[in-house]
Amino acid sequence: MILLQVTVSGLLMGSVYALFSSGLTLIWGMMNVVNFAHGDFVMLAMYAAFFAFTLLKLGPIFFIPGAAAILFVLGVVVYLGLVRHVAKGPMLAQILGTFGLALVLRYAAFWAFTANFVSLPSNLAGGTFDFYGLRIEASRLLAGVLALVITTGMHLVLTRTALGSRLLAVAEDRNAAMLMGIRPDRMQAVAWGIGAASTGVAGALIALFFYVSPTVGESLSLIAFVVVCLGGFGSVPGALIAGLGIGVIQALSAYLIGAVYQDVIVYSLFLLVLWVRPQGLMGTN
Amino acid sequence: MKQWPLVLIGFLFIAAWPLLVDDVFLQRVGALVLLAAISASAWNLLGGYAGQVSVGHAVYFGAGAYASLVVYTELGWPPIAGAPVGVAVSLAIAALIGTPTFRLRGHYFSMATIAAAELFRILAANWPLLGAAVGLMGPPVPRTVADLSFLSPIPYHYLFLAVLVVLLTLTWKMQRSRMGYYLAAIRGGDRAARSLGVPVLRYKLYALLLSAGFTSIAGSLYAVMVGFIDPDSALGILISVKLLIIAALGGAGTLFGPLVGAMILIPLEETTNAMFGGGGTGITFIVYGAIILLVARFQPRGIAALWEAITTRRASRVP
Amino acid sequence: MFLEARGIIKAFGAFRAVDGADLDVTQGEIVGLIGPNGAGKSTFFNCLAGDAEPTAGTIRFLDRDVTNATPEVHARLGMARTFQVPVTFEDMTVVENVMVGAFLRHHHRAGAMRKAEEVLEFTGLSHLAGSPARSLGTPGRKRLEIARALATEPRLLLLDEALAGLTPAEVRLAIELVRRIKGLGITIVIVEHIMEVILSLAERAVVFHQGKVIAQGAPRAVVDDPAVIAAYLGHHMKRVRM
Ligand SMILES: Nc1ncnc2c1ncn2[C@@H]1O[C@H](COP(=O)(O)OP(=O)(O)O)[C@@H](O)[C@H]1O
Ligand SMILES: [Mg+2]
Repeated sequence: MILLQVTVSGLLMGSVYALFSSGLTLIWGMMNVVNFAHGDFVMLAMYAAFFAFTLLKLGPIFFIPGAAAILFVLGVVVYLGLVRHVAKGPMLAQILGTFGLALVLRYAAFWAFTANFVSLPSNLAGGTFDFYGLRIEASRLLAGVLALVITTGMHLVLTRTALGSRLLAVAEDRNAAMLMGIRPDRMQAVAWGIGAASTGVAGALIALFFYVSPTVGESLSLIAFVVVCLGGFGSVPGALIAGLGIGVIQALSAYLIGAVYQDVIVYSLFLLVLWVRPQGLMGTN
Repeated sequence: MKQWPLVLIGFLFIAAWPLLVDDVFLQRVGALVLLAAISASAWNLLGGYAGQVSVGHAVYFGAGAYASLVVYTELGWPPIAGAPVGVAVSLAIAALIGTPTFRLRGHYFSMATIAAAELFRILAANWPLLGAAVGLMGPPVPRTVADLSFLSPIPYHYLFLAVLVVLLTLTWKMQRSRMGYYLAAIRGGDRAARSLGVPVLRYKLYALLLSAGFTSIAGSLYAVMVGFIDPDSALGILISVKLLIIAALGGAGTLFGPLVGAMILIPLEETTNAMFGGGGTGITFIVYGAIILLVARFQPRGIAALWEAITTRRASRVP
Repeated sequence: MFLEARGIIKAFGAFRAVDGADLDVTQGEIVGLIGPNGAGKSTFFNCLAGDAEPTAGTIRFLDRDVTNATPEVHARLGMARTFQVPVTFEDMTVVENVMVGAFLRHHHRAGAMRKAEEVLEFTGLSHLAGSPARSLGTPGRKRLEIARALATEPRLLLLDEALAGLTPAEVRLAIELVRRIKGLGITIVIVEHIMEVILSLAERAVVFHQGKVIAQGAPRAVVDDPAVIAAYLGHHMKRVRM
């Protein structure tokens, strides 16, 4: 019963991982650029949710879309101001660019909000309820389910809409897309916006049940890399499966071996997979 | 090399620095610049010359730092005696991790190095032999001169300078040998390099071993000088990032780039730390982040490229 | 036999880019490899040069089995190649690019430098020796790639569309260069799209279509072969470059 309990909470967390990792996989698949600040985007969204509630008295119905909107804008700005330029440069420049951004965001938050952990009241989304002996916090359930729905929605947007096919056309072949009258630059900006917006929703959801601190983004970035690598670059369904898997593995190893080792298991698994199958578990080429 | 006079002047300036300034703070900054230059030059062998951008060099720095203090806490040896142990451990880790990781290209390589380094940090933070989360202390008072525990930064300055000179001389020789050309070819593209008979994996491994060994020595020197380490100060991801930033600012893959980067960033860091006290770390990394962001955006090849542009323009003006 | 490839198959998933191709090359000849885009010529070259492992088949070079040997081993044995899309070492100068090749047989800087200068002279790039390689345009890069390969002192040179994208005047210069390379006693296999080039250079033409050799023989005869014409016409509409 306890194992089931642990697995369920792992799945709920994994579903949020899947959500923000889908944003990363979209960016990565579109232009083969990695966002080392991805986890720090999530951190910003967590603070946005926290301050929206404490200062403006806004509830989740407002601060979840609000965080998504703020992060969408941030994503577009980062693309236009930074990524667009470094993407053309040597690989070191790409890494430096988004790593620099990560440091600025992380330590600006550290400076502005101090290193103290803060958190939202735990009953924002309702209390804890019992489901045939399974105890589930409403906030985690809301986060997990909503994340799952939005991730699926993202997949549908990418595969079923005109916007999606234009995004994929640019990802496939920039020049060919240009000949078809698509403006790659604009599409990539949109991809960065969507990618960042996914961290906005995810961050606001995590803030419902998790403490907020300036350095939380560091490990979230790594989780996103792991999920994207395992799921295959550019694949939202892959990210979904891998995100859920990582959530469960983390929860189980925290329970069975100890919380401090949960990331040891995840990183070891990541390295093993990279070494054995550099193209990711679900990647094809 | 028409730049020898300049190099000589620079060397004399650095050598004379602790005698030129009276202030202990400034002398200390000088020693720390040299230490950072050693670490970043070591990173440069792999990340700059061979173009394999490691974001996990904290592993080797930490191995050196921990080895120094573990031989003291466990065996009572002078910390510097741990340096060879640290090098041995680093080479073993490098060989173990490097061989499979070098098959990865670009970002995947960088990512794997981060994950490996974080893995080691978490393990160290939970290993009692290494002092777990608290860390390790060196000898509180020097027992003999072999403990290399001095109040004045001046002895450290010359110790570090000697190591840096050895490292840069070696790098310079390497750069002009077959290995230097092969590493540059690898940076330019694995596939083309292999088609010309460059044993790519082997040379990447050579570069990694050299790089890891010297990074480890830098870690040992750091532990010897500071006398206290914990998982974050010896193995944290910020260590890895600092090496990369210093080298990239000065010019990755150039002989003096890391030294120049260290001469800019370390004084800046020490000044903000002194100005803002404990909260200074935050400001320091905002500044660090902003600098590399701007370098990446406007001058991806670092200060070295600016310098090259200036000198070649001047040269081409001469008929 | 100098070079002998038997039953080479290279599959990507279910798709066979090379599907049972044979090739024999005797020492000293120039063989032209032709075929529409996507026929599998570059993939076949990759297999020959050790850059891709064939799914099936065997390759022998100078009486040694090199089917699964690495590109480094191929280079050391004396097989050099150029890439369809040139890969220039951009951080280096032109002469340094060539020195990378020269270091294969000359382990010291001075020797490699001498060899590189000799090759630059031969390929007509001497005046650019000190320029940064990244300043070269496509024709310069293609020529540099040939120079770099020559610096490894090969016995067999594989040229993958080394003349594509050149102006007619540049093509004439390149043809002349290939002739002089043959004059050094180096055997050449050249992939080329432009029929006139094959007709004027190659002593034997091999036609690829959908991963298979569909014809071979004297270039003139091959070009008039109805099967070859059909293959080319069938692909006329779809000129996608790989
Ligand atoms: N790495 C690869 N993965 C999948 N398909 C490939 C790969 N490389 C080449 N192909 C496919 O193999 C076919 C042959 O390509 P190629 O050898 O480049 O042809 P050619 O050089 O004759 O134009 C093409 O259809 C191409 O799309
Ligand atoms: Mg081709």
